[in-house]
Amino acid sequence: MDFLSQTYIALRGPTGAPQTASETITKLSDRLSPGTLLADRRAAVLSLKGLTRDWKEDVGENALPGLLEVLQNDAEIDPDIGKAALETLNTLCEVDENTKDLALRHTEYVLAKEQPTHTLFALLGNSNFYIRYATIQLLTTLLQNRRQVVQGYFLKAPSGASSVIAVLEDKREIIQNESIALIQSLISQSPDIQKVLAFEGAFEKLFHTVTQENGVEGGIVSQDALKCVDGLLRFNTSNQSYFRETTLPSSLCSLLQFPPNLQIQDPVPQEFSLQFWDQQKLINVSLVIGIMGMLISSKGNSAPDSSVFVRCFTELALSSNAPTPLKTQALRLLPDNLTFPLSGVILTPYMPVPETNGEEWDRLEPASALDVLVELAVHGEYNGLYRDKRTTESLELRSAAATVFENFVNKEEIRQAIVQGMAPSEATNIPSISPLLYALCLPPSSPINFANVTSTHFATLLFAQLLSSSSRSKTLARSIKPHTAVPTTPAQGQFFVPADGPLREGAEVEDEDDDDSPQSLLHLFNENLSLAFLSRSRMESNDQEAREWDKLIIAYLCLLSQWLWTDPKAVREFLDTGGLGVLVEPINQTTDAESLIPGLCAFLLGICYEFNRQPGEITRATIHPIINRLGVDMLVGQMNRLREDDRFKAVGPTSIVLPYPTAISLRSGTTAPSETEGEIWFDWAFVDFWKSNQYTIQRGLGTDPNAMSPSAGASAESAMLISSLRDVIRSQAQELEEMQQKIGEASAWETKLSELQAQVSQMEARLVQTDEKIKNLRRSKRTCWYCWMRSAPSERRIRRGLGRLGLMFLRMRGMKKRMKKRKKIRTIYHCLSWSMC
Amino acid sequence: MSGITWHYVLKFIITGDAAVGKSSLLVRLTDQRFLTNPDPTLGVEFGSKLIEIPEEGKIVKLQCWDTAGTESFRSITRSYYRGAAGCLLVYDVTSRASFTNARSWLADVREHADPHLTCILVGNKVDLCEAEDGTSNGRREVSTAEGELWAKEDDLLFVEASAKSGVNVEIAFEQASRDILDKIKRGVFDDDRSPGVKLSKPANSNLNIDQGSTRPTCCS
Ligand SMILES: Nc1nc2c(ncn2[C@@H]2O[C@H](COP(=O)(O)OP(=O)(O)OP(=O)(O)O)[C@@H](O)[C@H]2O)c(=O)[nH]1
Ligand SMILES: [Mg+2]
Repeated sequence: MDFLSQTYIALRGPTGAPQTASETITKLSDRLSPGTLLADRRAAVLSLKGLTRDWKEDVGENALPGLLEVLQNDAEIDPDIGKAALETLNTLCEVDENTKDLALRHTEYVLAKEQPTHTLFALLGNSNFYIRYATIQLLTTLLQNRRQVVQGYFLKAPSGASSVIAVLEDKREIIQNESIALIQSLISQSPDIQKVLAFEGAFEKLFHTVTQENGVEGGIVSQDALKCVDGLLRFNTSNQSYFRETTLPSSLCSLLQFPPNLQIQDPVPQEFSLQFWDQQKLINVSLVIGIMGMLISSKGNSAPDSSVFVRCFTELALSSNAPTPLKTQALRLLPDNLTFPLSGVILTPYMPVPETNGEEWDRLEPASALDVLVELAVHGEYNGLYRDKRTTESLELRSAAATVFENFVNKEEIRQAIVQGMAPSEATNIPSISPLLYALCLPPSSPINFANVTSTHFATLLFAQLLSSSSRSKTLARSIKPHTAVPTTPAQGQFFVPADGPLREGAEVEDEDDDDSPQSLLHLFNENLSLAFLSRSRMESNDQEAREWDKLIIAYLCLLSQWLWTDPKAVREFLDTGGLGVLVEPINQTTDAESLIPGLCAFLLGICYEFNRQPGEITRATIHPIINRLGVDMLVGQMNRLREDDRFKAVGPTSIVLPYPTAISLRSGTTAPSETEGEIWFDWAFVDFWKSNQYTIQRGLGTDPNAMSPSAGASAESAMLISSLRDVIRSQAQELEEMQQKIGEASAWETKLSELQAQVSQMEARLVQTDEKIKNLRRSKRTCWYCWMRSAPSERRIRRGLGRLGLMFLRMRGMKKRMKKRKKIRTIYHCLSWSMC
Repeated sequence: MSGITWHYVLKFIITGDAAVGKSSLLVRLTDQRFLTNPDPTLGVEFGSKLIEIPEEGKIVKLQCWDTAGTESFRSITRSYYRGAAGCLLVYDVTSRASFTNARSWLADVREHADPHLTCILVGNKVDLCEAEDGTSNGRREVSTAEGELWAKEDDLLFVEASAKSGVNVEIAFEQASRDILDKIKRGVFDDDRSPGVKLSKPANSNLNIDQGSTRPTCCS
């Protein structure tokens, strides 16, 4: 009643005449001064609060100083007046559509000095529910409007950090919800605040909250608390090293039901692998593994807990029933320089029992993580159970698996070992059948099997990763004889036999006509490629099926390009098995609709021309007129068209999955990624390969068939070529040495000596010329310079070799077959000058 | 992530004037290294180290927050005092000013920190006192006796050390830790109520997730 009468007096005014609102507000504002009785001040604040909604500007203009004074003097003592003042201030500062400038002006007034903010942080420590709640709200508003100013004051506030921690300990749900939002904006982009809060024990408090909320099974509070943990760590190395020193990293594992002390040979418990999942849990777990991934990547991953995290991710992605996006995330968080023994870790994958709605699961035979990874990339989740549905989500997962594979085989020994495993072994001549090889060699069938196309496509991506820039792997791959290797039963059955139930259907291999001599892999690709071209030519170009044939053709062409690059022997084999005809036709018959295939054929043709350096039937001289007939400009134009294609341009290092076109037009983007259909065309490795080498190929197309390869000095792979040439020199030097022994016994022919000497000096003169060329190249192009730098040491070695050769020639007095020898020397010289241009 | 291998976690702060070698002492402790050209600390940096106190049979995990000596960070670094169990108050024996200023640092610590905080005064850079000519005073501006005297008056532990040579660095932290453990034993902190001391708990007891109730049926 007291309050009402006070207000009444205030409104009525001393004379009893009705007042305008602004007169009232001025009067009420005057009453906020400390000189007035507390009860009067309280009444005035309450009245002002009521007027603020409609008279924001007037209240702001008149009452702000008084309200701040009340805040400082009364709020701690009198919760009612405190609450009302806080709420009024919050209304004044809150930005809404119409009063943005006004609200910001009020905010600036409140933040003009540090004292009011310090008072707010002190009030945050007040355990009165209303005070604490209203303070959180006001601070949140201020942070939203002028974050950095508030952050600056926070760091100087005497009780800032401890109040914030006290709020985190508050058990009242509303406070919990609001406080985490407050902390999120308080720590945003302020490493200092992040550190202070970490020091005050924020991590422990936040984990406590998560645990109380039932861990990752919890709701939005768990989620927000985990987000805060992430925010305290993400860009703060100091906090990361602190965090690692606590027991919390193990707690992260425990949150996922993963035993933090799991040894490499131990199996993971079933309660980790099989869990119930819903949308909220997916979000929570995604946050947890995001934090774990950050802790792995921010240090050399040699520390023991890092390898537990890596194991946890591997198991989550490869053997658990986690939702697909989580598996993808887990794979992407694995470190690039993966040192984890993928082939040594044995997993026990699970498969959903059909028709049980994910409630029953079969345990499969244990398999190595590497095998499961390859299987995942090639066939998709759960042993290819859903391989017919090519959702964006599932393709993302498979491409993430392919990237992990790529990183894993980055080590030369590993990739060689894997390719070796596909080649016939010397002992039995019966090679082991890898699921990769099986999928690689699936014969194209008409009508086309969409799932098989995707499998073969992924297999070509993985296989290309095994071969790229490894001449040894390429050599090994040439010895693979898939026909003896691929049996008529699905190869993956070998690894993944469901505990009960029949073998999965759908991947049967048709029996081809038996050929007596086993076909090589290159030969098989060549055949499959022409088969695909043939089937494709029977389709309408807008046909869905035609699109799949295109993908298959492109998959083969990309793999072949990467294989034949710098491998003259593979080029020889490709040409000898009819490759030229296969390539030329599509270049010739271009339609406007298709911009990828002609460009790829032109590129591969260019590679065949460039690296056709082995003696054989189809020489550079054979190809040259064909290129001329097609026209170099036309070929270059085709290649440029490919570069402009969106399917090529859209590919990034971690994004190779594109939306399937009909899916976009029909469903207009409203469907979830778990429903939308996706497709892949290229992986990043190929795009990168193309971009680095297109120019070389383009230039090569215009060169004379007798010209030496200009690419060797200008490509990143020159080092490889040079090293193989070095081998040639070494073996020839050895031959010469042997020769020399025999020759030594024969009589001396002094004339020969001078002849040979002349030759050596001639060679040296040409070497000087070559040096000149290199210098020119260096001047003209930075990339050339870079590559020359890389090849310089080998050049030196070659020169040393030349010197040695010269010496030997001196000693070659009794050489009988001199003409033959000279020819040989010239060949060596050709190789050398080729490598150094 | 192999179990818990310590009995206590002790939070330390390191304070003192800029460039007296606070960061260097911490790096020496944690990495056994000396940096000739460290960057001045901005705000606060963290480092940690396990040490053993043999006569107590305890393994102690030191969590150290190395603070900036630059004046402009003083309000930030103050936030760390309250939660610490131990403090290394560092001055440079070749700089009288840093010794004089140590008094104001101590006043700051006493004002903001827990009253039971253990403080050790560390005179750093004693390696510079070995002058080239073999005389033992070199560039010293604060004598050992003077440091000792002040430490005694203000109830501080005292040691002279060098982050460069490594002499007495670990000992400084050990002495302070020993003193804290002693306070714990005498019950100065009623059941671990010092904000800077934490007893290790049995593995993972800080996370008791209810397990087992929500599990899919599995027919294997
Ligand atoms: N000779 C010698 N030099 C030292 C020693 N400790 C530190 N220094 C040098 O003193 C300078 C400052 O060292 P810091 O460790 O950065 O000093 P700080 O106390 O951390 O400085 P702020 O972070 O700015 O507060 C550096 O050049 C160090 O190399 C020591 O024991 N002996
Ligand atoms: Mg420092």
